[in-house]
Amino acid sequence: MIKMHNIVKRFGTQTVLSDVSFEVKEKEIFGLLGPSGAGKTTIINILTRQLIADGGSYSIGVTPFETGLMLDEDGLYPRLNGLENLNVFADIYGISHEKSLEALRSVGLGDAVKKPINQLSKGMRQRTALARAILHKPKVLFLDEPTSGIDPGTARGIHKLILRLRDDGATVFLTTHNMDEAVKLCDKVALLHKGVIVEYGGPAEICQRHNSIKTVPDLEAVFIKVTGVVLE
Amino acid sequence: MRSAKAIFVKQLRDTLKNRVMLIQFVLFPAIAFVMTEFVAKPNEEISDVIFITMFAAMFAGMTPLMMPNTIIAEDKEHKSLRFLVMAGVKPFEYLLGIGGFVLVISSFVALAFATMAGFSGPELGQFVLVMILGSAASIILGATIGIFSKNQQSATALGTPIMLLFAFSPMIAMFNERLSQITSFLYTLQVRELILSFDPSSLPSDDSFSYAKPILIILANIVVIAILFVLAYKKKGLRG
Repeated sequence: MIKMHNIVKRFGTQTVLSDVSFEVKEKEIFGLLGPSGAGKTTIINILTRQLIADGGSYSIGVTPFETGLMLDEDGLYPRLNGLENLNVFADIYGISHEKSLEALRSVGLGDAVKKPINQLSKGMRQRTALARAILHKPKVLFLDEPTSGIDPGTARGIHKLILRLRDDGATVFLTTHNMDEAVKLCDKVALLHKGVIVEYGGPAEICQRHNSIKTVPDLEAVFIKVTGVVLE
Repeated sequence: MRSAKAIFVKQLRDTLKNRVMLIQFVLFPAIAFVMTEFVAKPNEEISDVIFITMFAAMFAGMTPLMMPNTIIAEDKEHKSLRFLVMAGVKPFEYLLGIGGFVLVISSFVALAFATMAGFSGPELGQFVLVMILGSAASIILGATIGIFSKNQQSATALGTPIMLLFAFSPMIAMFNERLSQITSFLYTLQVRELILSFDPSSLPSDDSFSYAKPILIILANIVVIAILFVLAYKKKGLRG
C-alpha cells in the first residue's frame, strides 16, 4: 500500500532523512517511532505531498482524496464549533452533514459538537481533528502523534478507535514517541533516529531480536540499546 | 465548484462570529450615515451625498483589500489551509470561495450606501457596478498580498502600507498636480472619481466628465493585478 525507497531529505545543509525505506501493507497499523526531531513528521509530509524529497522514491496506492490526515497542529477553525468544522469538509467531500455528527460521536464528542473549538480542551480538539480525518472513511489514515499531550482515558479511546478503523479496512500510518502505544497498536514499526531507520519489523520480533522481551515487549529498551538515547 | 461553495459558506459562518471582521464591513457605511445625518443634511451648503460617496470610495479601496489578505493569512497561521489542500481543494477554488464571499458582502455594503444616498433605477445599478468593479480589483490585490503573508501579523504589516498607498494617494493627489497625474493610473482614483460623480455638486459644470476612461483604467488595473496575482501564486503558492 505505502512504499518508501531510499528517501533522502535535506533542509539547507542539514540532512534530516537518510535512505529511509519501508513498506506498509494494506489494513496494517504501521508505527514510526522516534524522539522529537527524528524526522517522523517530515516523512508524513513527504507521503502527503506537502514536501518534496531530495532523493529516492515512494508510492501510496490511493489518491489524496482517499487519505485522512491528523497532524500535531489541528488546523481547525477556532470560531466554528466541531460540527461546523466537519461540515466544511463534508461539503467538500460531497457527503451528508449527518456523517459529521456520526464521526464526532465515534470519537466520543457527541455532547460537545456545538461548542466553539477555541473553548475546547486540547484532548477534545485532538478528537475533533481525528473525527475530521475519518469523516470520509479514508483508505489510508496518517496520524501524527495522535495521543500526544492528552489524558490516558482519552488516549485509550483513541487507541480503540484506531484498532476499529483497521478492522474496518483502513491502513493506519502513525507516528509516536510512546513505545507502549506502538506495542499495543502496531502490526509493524520502524524505529527512526536522526533520520535513519535503525530497526524495522513487528514489535515483538524486534524486541526478541534484541532480547528485550519482559512480561511485555519493551521497545523502549531496544531504542535505548540501538541509539543510546533515552526518550523523554 | 463544490469546494468553492463550501469555502464560501465556511467564511460566511466564520465572519458572522468574528466581530473584528464584521466591524470592518459596517464601519464605513456607519460613519457615512452619521456624517450625513448630523453634518451634511443640517448644512445646506454641503451636498447630502458627499459623505456617502466619499466613504463608499474609501470602502472600495480599503476593506475588500484587507479582507482576503487577512483571511488567507489566518488560514495559513492556523494551518487550516493545509487540510483544505489535503482534502483536494484546488487553490483557485479556495480563492474563488474567499474572493466570492468578500465580493458578495461588498455588494451588500454598496447597496447600503446606495440606499442611504437615495439612488434608484439606473443610478442605483451604475453605483453598485462601480463599487463591484473597485471591490473586485481590491480583492485580487488583497489575495496577492495574502500569498506573501505568513500570518495575521505579517498580513497587517504588508497590507497596510499598500492599502494606504492605493486608498489615500488619490485623496492627497487633489492637492498636487504631479501626484494627481501619477495616481490617475490607479484604480482607486478612478473608482473615487466615478463614485464622486454620483454627487451632482462634484461634477464639472461644462459637462466634460467621461465615464468610459475611468472604467477602462479600472479594467486595465484588474488585468495587471490579476497577472501579478498569477505570477505571485506561481512563485509562492498557498503554502503556510
